[in-house]
Amino acid sequence: MKCYNCGCTLSEKDFCTACGADVSVYKKIISTSNRFYNDGLEKAGVRDLTGAVSSLRQSLKFNKNNIEARNLLGLVYFEMGEAVAALSEWVISKNLRPNKNIADDYLNMIQSNQGRLDTINQTIKKYNQALAYCHQDSLDLAVIQLKKVLSLNPNFIRAHQLLALLYINQEEWEKAQRELQKCLKIDTNNTTTLRYMKEVESVLAMREAGRGKEKKRKDEDVIKYQSGNETIIQPINARESGGASTLLNMGIGIVIGIAVACFLILPARLKESDNAVREELRKVSEQNDLKTANIAELEQKIAELTQNNTDIQTQLDSYVGTDGAVETMKYLMDAVAAYLDNPEDIEKIAEKLEKIDPVMMAADGTDVVDTLYEKMIQTVGPSIAENYYDTGYESYRRELYEEAIPDLQKAVEFDQKNGDALLYLGNCYRNTGQKDEAIKIYEQVVSQFEGTEKARKAQNFLNEMQDEG
Amino acid sequence: MIDFEEELKKFHPSLEVDEAEEAIYNQDLTDMADIVVGMVKDLNNKEEE
Repeated sequence: MKCYNCGCTLSEKDFCTACGADVSVYKKIISTSNRFYNDGLEKAGVRDLTGAVSSLRQSLKFNKNNIEARNLLGLVYFEMGEAVAALSEWVISKNLRPNKNIADDYLNMIQSNQGRLDTINQTIKKYNQALAYCHQDSLDLAVIQLKKVLSLNPNFIRAHQLLALLYINQEEWEKAQRELQKCLKIDTNNTTTLRYMKEVESVLAMREAGRGKEKKRKDEDVIKYQSGNETIIQPINARESGGASTLLNMGIGIVIGIAVACFLILPARLKESDNAVREELRKVSEQNDLKTANIAELEQKIAELTQNNTDIQTQLDSYVGTDGAVETMKYLMDAVAAYLDNPEDIEKIAEKLEKIDPVMMAADGTDVVDTLYEKMIQTVGPSIAENYYDTGYESYRRELYEEAIPDLQKAVEFDQKNGDALLYLGNCYRNTGQKDEAIKIYEQVVSQFEGTEKARKAQNFLNEMQDEG
Repeated sequence: MIDFEEELKKFHPSLEVDEAEEAIYNQDLTDMADIVVGMVKDLNNKEEE
């Protein structure tokens, strides 16, 4: 013990041997504090935590520097689930004695484990929330929340007590008793716990008494007697049932059986059957969908194939039809054959060549055939043209313009350099009133045979027609 | 018979960890020894005067 005045160690004297200060009262105070500490320690030893808290607080009121008392108080708080109170005591203790202090270890134990610290904080928050629920009359939620709190911190006395209070309020006496018993295991002498427990036990005792009377009355309704080694228990009012009552009982039993079948078994069976049908229906529906999809796919394929078939048929027709290339080829071959047979027989060659459609020749696109056709035209074209020109001109001369037109057209077709045929063709058109055709032909003459007499004539005709128009 | 409402009033919210610092600062740590020492010192001062 140190002197409060100079800090020297005190002796057994009532004054400080160093500074002479009177320490008699001071010594008594310190000794009282120690006595309370011892009392608190004893109570904590027998798990009277509430009593220990009370004694240790008294001890600290006498001497705030009683570090052992403060550390023990923190420990007791921690055991009661009051982690923040415990931390407060240990922090103060650490400040009062920074070195060689067990509080340091306690603080390290908690602070080094962040998870534990979070759990403590969560527990407190949930407890406060539960309390708020209680004030809002949401007692069911409060119970749930308190159960969570206790799963995180099973030693939290206040949470146990609040939960027990809620159970008492809901008249769930057994549950309340269980909670209170848990409380008493942690803190054996908590006044609140004991008060609640007294209430709960009195109610349970009354209930038990009620049940006892009931049981006794039932016991009185029977006759017990010993027959050899066996105890016979026979109801007093029991009567042997007669034949009619047996039948009646059997009938009632059958009716009950049928009722059970109707109300319990039958609906289950019906539901089962209904489910099976639904399942079957679902399968059939799925198959149906699948088939519908297949049909749609096949129909689409049919449409595609039909289209392909049509295209191919069209192509085939173009090859083998009357206007087809095969036909054209045949006429060309015939023309060539006629030419080889007799090159002078222009009429026969012309007849064959006329059947050839130049458009189809272009569509055929075969170089060899084109070349052959062109060679034929170059070789016999002018002769054929001349032949047509003669016929056409004869008709023209006799003013048979309609008749002259096809021959002159052929003449121009087979020999495009035949300017006379072209000019007369224009005249024929002009004379038959085909003004547009005539203008086209005259313009062709003017452009193709520029500077010639034919061109001049054609130009004159054009001028005349413009003057007329 | 326990009155639920009255009992409920006895339960108070717990301090959270964040609030511990403030609680520590606000704690009145004056003990009996402080009071007695103060009284003795006052007495001595008066005697000196």
